[in-house]
Formats: sequence, structure tokens, C-alpha cells
Amino acid sequence: MFARMCGIAGSTEDPDGRLVRAMCATLRHRGPDDEGVHCDPPAGVSIGARRLSVMDLDGGHQPLCNEDGSIWAAFNGEIYNHRKLREDLRRRGHSFTTAGDTEVLVHLYEEFGEAMVHALEGMFSFAIWDQRERRLLLARDRFGEKPLFVHEHGGELLFASELTSLLEVKPSLRELDPYAIDAFFVFAYVPGPGTIVPGVRQLPPGQLLSWRRQDRRCEQRSWWSPPQRGSRRRESFAAVAAEASELFEQAVATRMVADVPVGVFLSGGVDSTLVASAAARTSSQRLQTFTVGYDVGGVNETERARSVAAKLGSEHHEVTLTQADVAGRVPALLASLDQPLADRATVPLHALSEFARPRVTVALGGEGADELFGGYPRYRRLEQARRVHAALPTVALRPLAGALRASGGLAAASRASRRLAPTPMIERNLDWVTAARRHLRDGLYGPRLAELDRSRVLTDLGLRAGELDGGTAARWLMHLDQVHYLPDDVLVKTDRASMLVSLELRSVFLHAGLAELAGSLDTSMHLSGAGKALVHSMLPAGLISSSRGGRYRKTAFRVPAAEWLRGPLAATLGEQLEQGSIYSEGYFDRGAVAQLAREHASGASDHSDRLWPLLAFGLWADRFHGLERR
Amino acid sequence: MDSSAAESGRAATRPRLLILTPDFPPAPGGIQVVVERLAAGMDGFETLVLAPDGPGAGAFDAATDLRVQRVGGGARLRGGRSALLNAAALRAAASFRPALTLSAHIVTSPGAAAIRAALGARTAQYFHAEEIGARPRLAAFAASRADLSIAVSAYTAQLIAATGAQPRRARVIANGADVPADASALPAERPTILTIARIEERYKGHDTMVRALALMLAKVPDAQWVVIGEGSLRPAIEALARGYGVDRSIRFLGAVSDRERDAWLRRARLLAMPSRLPAGPFAGEGFGIVYLEAGAYAKPVLAGNVGGALDAVIDGETGLLVDPLDALAVADAITALLRDDALAARLGAAGRKRAEQQAWPLVAARVQRELLELLEAR
Repeated sequence: MFARMCGIAGSTEDPDGRLVRAMCATLRHRGPDDEGVHCDPPAGVSIGARRLSVMDLDGGHQPLCNEDGSIWAAFNGEIYNHRKLREDLRRRGHSFTTAGDTEVLVHLYEEFGEAMVHALEGMFSFAIWDQRERRLLLARDRFGEKPLFVHEHGGELLFASELTSLLEVKPSLRELDPYAIDAFFVFAYVPGPGTIVPGVRQLPPGQLLSWRRQDRRCEQRSWWSPPQRGSRRRESFAAVAAEASELFEQAVATRMVADVPVGVFLSGGVDSTLVASAAARTSSQRLQTFTVGYDVGGVNETERARSVAAKLGSEHHEVTLTQADVAGRVPALLASLDQPLADRATVPLHALSEFARPRVTVALGGEGADELFGGYPRYRRLEQARRVHAALPTVALRPLAGALRASGGLAAASRASRRLAPTPMIERNLDWVTAARRHLRDGLYGPRLAELDRSRVLTDLGLRAGELDGGTAARWLMHLDQVHYLPDDVLVKTDRASMLVSLELRSVFLHAGLAELAGSLDTSMHLSGAGKALVHSMLPAGLISSSRGGRYRKTAFRVPAAEWLRGPLAATLGEQLEQGSIYSEGYFDRGAVAQLAREHASGASDHSDRLWPLLAFGLWADRFHGLERR
Repeated sequence: MDSSAAESGRAATRPRLLILTPDFPPAPGGIQVVVERLAAGMDGFETLVLAPDGPGAGAFDAATDLRVQRVGGGARLRGGRSALLNAAALRAAASFRPALTLSAHIVTSPGAAAIRAALGARTAQYFHAEEIGARPRLAAFAASRADLSIAVSAYTAQLIAATGAQPRRARVIANGADVPADASALPAERPTILTIARIEERYKGHDTMVRALALMLAKVPDAQWVVIGEGSLRPAIEALARGYGVDRSIRFLGAVSDRERDAWLRRARLLAMPSRLPAGPFAGEGFGIVYLEAGAYAKPVLAGNVGGALDAVIDGETGLLVDPLDALAVADAITALLRDDALAARLGAAGRKRAEQQAWPLVAARVQRELLELLEAR
């Protein structure tokens, strides 16, 4: 089931490349087609790469170097504008020996040093070893599409595309961080820049890390972050929409470039429909579209996707994720992830990637549109709540909320009551997106987590969110999602689920120009209508039907998790409760979780929001502890 | 005969020109400058300028030799100002009895057309650019009703043609520049790239400048980008600069006095404004007077290779024209101008020469010649 994806690894304490070769071996799933290691024995530095061939199928061996062999690069990802850059660099006198994108990096580095990253449009993490300066440069793309894990110890560096690789060669790092577990339970993902183990961190999106042999010092700095301060006026919507549309077309065109077949993951929602329609116009061949459905539960998007595909004339493929498939796929998938991840959509995305892989090597997706263009309804709702708070004196809010609650029964009154409650915006948002799991920790945590400072999750989240900076609450929340949920959940899910089956998933919306345009607009422009107004404006008329008020229903490969936990995953959940290490090691309270499981199984309650993270973490932790016991 | 009597005798023999404009000093902006310099430079006419009232207008009018009539009120109503201006145009024309009406913007074209119909005055219409993209139907009306259409660049002429209008008589007359007597350079602490533009329209390319700066600083680390101009997009551009980590190399000065602006033109190594064509049906830079103005200070310029800049800047002679969406190309061109003294000096000298050829009095004379020919062609 699991082939293996592109990845890089390196060490500053590995003169003969032994460690790096061992790390690369664990990355085989990321890059099944090729492996290479470059060593600089006097400096003690080795860098390596495993490669999945998407462009320059035969000539892209890595690491590779510049004309005189003084600059070496190991690269994971895609540089969408590499052909244009290649022409620019040729004009400056650089010569190329391959047709792939990695070679562009070494010559760009020669020209611009670390500022080279600003010329790159793409998803990437890479390492450059400058033999003359004895300097190692690590970089990660703007949004965090490609991972990079770093262990720094005593002035030396060890890095890899996967945490697992580092643990493989440095067993002493195999120790779980209780605070990371706490954060995982609250968020259902491990927030960066930390990881699930205390000794390893992630290079954050849009950051560079520079290390020099001479003084063995690391310098890390941000080279790009999403703008979060919009203009002060409402511009002509038509003019902005035209610019967004032009940038989007460019993004699609550059992401369609590959020497292998390209398809589109189509849920039938606005984002993927827009991607598919633009790709269909760009593609010289009949476009292939893919969607996933289920044999249980009320969630099924196949009909909508089929309808869009018929209108686009694409060659459409559907896969049904059956309960029997779920029983086998989910435990293996959740256990195999590099870090624990409880985003349920990982499952259909993995199934869809696996299904599409024999037909296409690259697929386009619509990830990031909601975060950049204001697609989540909560932005608007919480902004409304903030305005209510600003307009009413604090002394009036609590009694008013209480009165509304007491009026009972009416859903509208209940909603209004919640909005009026004097809870800080960041907590309100957190509880909205996490089903308020943080409030269940007392009852579910075992002795290993009992003594934790529970407030740290919020403190860390506040640091990532930054200041409101005079903007709207909606803008602030969009920014928070762009630097937290997007890189640490959405993009982890897309990278891992697709790379596990050696398929490359490219997001069209994660385009620097589009993101910068989105970030520069007055927030009200995003939130007008049903939200994500710019994206809606780009959608060709008649492709998908809107419901009342011209609003489009949200679809995004949703998952019948509650049914699965009662059906095909009930046995796995039971095994976890009996033998799982997260209970035997004292991280979670077996009795309390068993009670939740019983209530869920009986149909009396839907506890899938709690049980899924526990199942995901339990399965992952068992593998982790298995590694530890080896 | 004393001089005032001579002047009044001369006035009696000169044809009367009514200039209708929604933009006039002391309000800031490019169109304001164009209209004022033309009005001041065309001494073959007895001219009356009809313009909106505004802050400082009284003092300005008292100090100018031009005859200016102001139209007040209506600014708060959408379209109200233009309606009032057009209504006032008819009243002014009834007493002034112009031989010719020059409509400086398409929003005053209805007034000019009405004067033509009521009084038989010939009509000339000035076209810039942005207004054509924003209101193509009104632009087509203006072009088809006027006896003469003057476009400030070949690009503007294309925009007029794209509206489907067929002007009776069309001319392209490039904008001009003020040429200072003292254009000597002032010392600068750091290599300075200067941009002068309101931070209001995206097409001016402030965003591309930020992206280019991030690359360019790798080659010229001590360079600074000085941004003169204010606008509602400024917070967004500042945020973008922070996101790129280049904010320490940028000075946003906001709106400054003419004197301070001129001082920066003397200090700067070059002027950069990579204006692009906006997406969709919208129009971009009609000409870019500021390119000529930089030339007047012997500064080379960096501009986008599209739109009116093609007329304002001669590529490789007075400046460098590059793809305004390509930050790498912009960075390369700026780097070349910062590093190559001989190149910068050569382009700067040619820019000065071109500015002299495009000095406002010469441009006004060209416009006047066209207007007089129009009257003679009756």
C-alpha cells in the first residue's frame, strides 16, 4: 500500500555520508526513483536526496552542483518557474547540464546568495552546501508545503524531510514531548515549529537557516510571511477580481508543467471546481479528474463532482472508500504518518491519491483558498461577535448572555448567547475549530499528562497569532490560520497522504502573488456575500449550482468518521483501549476514553471529535514505541 | 498705449478658450499639472479655466496669472461634482462666449458637447488613460462628440480606439515636464532608488518594487528605496515589505512638498516605477510625467515596458524598460543602474535632453497649434 516519496537529509557530523545514507533509506517512500549523497569530508558535511521523478525524468540525479563543483544542492519539491529562471541564468552566463529544477538553485545561489529564495515560485525545502564558504543553507517554501525537520546539538546540525529519519539515526531523540501531546489533543495536529519529540524542531514556512563550519553557529530568519494588513479602502471589486483571476490562471498554468500526466482532485466544491475548470482550459489533453465517495453515512460529494466533470468534459474517475477498505487502510495510514495527525480528511485524500497514482503522477488541488480568501464562515461570525462586544459595555454583556441562555430552546438565542459571552477571541476561535477539546483534558488525561501547565497551549497560540495590529478580528483569524492550521495540518495532510503513494499534489492557490493580493485587500472584500467572494467571482457561470442567496455549499472531501468509528474502526478502537501504549504508558485515562467509546458505539452520542484524535495518536504512538523498543 | 491697454487690445483679438477640468491645482496630481501648464503656456488664447473649488483654491487663484472660475459644492455626492461642473460650464460659456472648449477629462465632455450644441464652440477633448478603462462608454461619447481628440500617448490612443469610438480628428501629444534651472546632484548617504507616485493604484508597481528589492539588496546591500506619495494601499505595501524582510531598506515619506520632492530627485541615483497594465478592461499609466521629471534632473529611470511609459521613456537611451511583473528583471535593471556609473550618467544626460525637448512651454505650444488649426478649419 505504501510506496515511498522526494526527500532530503543532511548532517554536519557525517564526513563519509553514512548517517545521511541511513536517513535517505527511510525516505524511500518520498523518492522511489533515485538516491544520491554528496560528502565534503574535510568539512564533515554530507547532504543527500531521494527523488520522485516528475520533471527531467532521467537527468535529475541529486545532489548536484554548479560548474566548478563548489555549490551543491539537495532539493525536495517543485520550482514552478524554473524554466524562466533557467533562461535568465543562461543569459548571465551559467551553463546547465540537466533539464530539472534543482540545478537552477545552485546557479541562483551563486547570483543572489540566500536572497535567491525570493526568485522561487514553488513548494520546496532544500539544502545548499557552499564548499568555498563552508556554509550550509536550509530553506523552506512560503506556506510550508514541503517539510524540513532539524536537530541542533552542540553546534552541529542534522536535518531531514521527515522526523522519522532523524529518529532512525539518532535513537536518543526518541522521547515524546508531553506538551506536544497536549497540543496535539487540543488541535488534532502538532503545531510547529516544535515537533512531537523535544529534540527536533521544524524550520518554519518562509524561513532560512544558515550554518557555518567556521563558528558552527546557526542563524535563522524569516524571508517571507503572509501580509496581514489590508488596504484602507474598498477598491473596485471588478478590478481586484480581474487581477486575482489573472494570477490564478498563471498559477494553474505553471502548476500544469510536468513531464508526467497531471490530474485534478475534484470534490465538486468551489475551489476544486475552479481549479479543474482552469486546468481543463490549459491542458492540451483531456483532463483527468478524481473524486472519492463512501458506502456509509450521509456525506457524499461524488454526485456534485460528477456533475462538474460532465460540464467540463473531463475524464472523470470515482473511487468508493468502502467500510472494508477503511478497516484496513486507516490503522496502517495513521500509524505510518511521520508525526501524529488527526485530520480525518487524510484518509480519503490518501485513498484518492492511491487510486489516481496509476493514471497521473501529479494532481492539482484547491488547498489554501479558504485561509487566504476568507472561506470559513467563522471569520465573519466571530467578526460580528467582536463588533457586538465593541458596541456594548462589558457590564451589559454577561447579563444579556445569561438572559438569552435562559430564554432557552431557540437556536438563535443560544448562538447569540455564545457570541455575547466574554471569552477572548482567540479562545472562541480555538473552541470553534477544535470542538472545545481543551475543556475535556481534565477528564481524559492520564498521570503522564496530569501535571502539565494546561495554559501553555493558549500562550503558544497567542504568540503565533501575533497582535491584532489595528485590523479586524477576521483578518487576524485568517492570518492565524495561514501560519498555524494551514502549514501544520492542511499541508502536512496533503504532503503525507500524497507522498505516501508517490503522487505529487500541487496547490494552485498557494501562489505568492495570489496570497499577497489576498493579504492586501480590505477584509470586507473577502467576506462580502457568503465569504470567499473573490474566488466565487472567478468561477465560470453554471458550473456548480448555488443554494439560496447565491451561496455555494462547502465541500472538501468530508468524512463519515462517526459511522466508521461505530463500524469498521470499532475493533481497532477496542484494541487500542485494551493494548494501546497511550493508555499503558499513562498518557490517557483508559476508563474515561472507554466510556466515550461506549457512548459513541451505542449511538447515544457522537464523540468522533474526541475519539478520532485519540485513535490517531494511539496508533501512531504504538509505532513510535515500537521503534523505541527495537 | 500702456501695457494693460496693449494686453486688453491683444485679448480682444485672441480667440476665447474655455477649459473645463475636474482636476486643477492646488489639488495634487498629474492631470492637475497637465491642465495648469497647458493653460499657462497657451498665450494665443484668452483663456478661462472652470474648475471645482477646494481647499487652498482662493489663494492659488489669487497668485496665478490665469483666470480661474471655481465651482463649489456637490463633492459629497457621487457624480454630483461632475454634474455641477457641467451645469456651470454652460452658464460660464453663455457669458464667456468661447470659440473653443477644451475638456480636460471625459467627465466634462457632456458640458463641452452641450456648449458646442448651444453656442457652436468647437470642442477639443483630452484623454489620459485610467478614465477610459474605468468609463469606456463615457470615453466613447467624449471622443465621438469632440472635434479634436488629444491622447497623451500612443497607448491612450489605443484605449480610445478600443472603445469603438471614431474621433473626427485625433492627435497624440506627449505630456511635458518642468525643467529646473539647477538640476545638480546632491550627495546621498546611501544609493537611493526613488519612486514618486500615489500609493493608490496597484498598477504603479509598488508591490513589484518590494519583491525586486529583496533580490536587489543581495547585490547592493546598502541601497535604500525612498517612496514619495501617500495612498490607501500604503499599509498593505508596508506589510508586504515587512513580510519580505526589506522594510529597513525602505523609507516611506508620504506626501511631501515640491521642494522636498525636488531635493530627493537630486539625491536619488534613479527613479523606478515599474507600472504594469492592470488586468481586465482597466487602463494603466497613460504617460508617466514623473519619468520625464526625473530626466529633467538627469536621472535615469526604470519603467515597465507597457502602456504610456513606452512614450515617456526611450529604452536604453533615457531609461530601462522591463517586464513590470518580473521582479527579477526589475531587480537586474535597478542593480545595473546602481552599479554602472557610466550607464546611469549616459541615460541621465539623455533624459535631461529629452525633458528639455518636452518642456511644458513647448508642449503647450504644440497643443495650441492644434487648437488654432482646429479653429481655422471651420
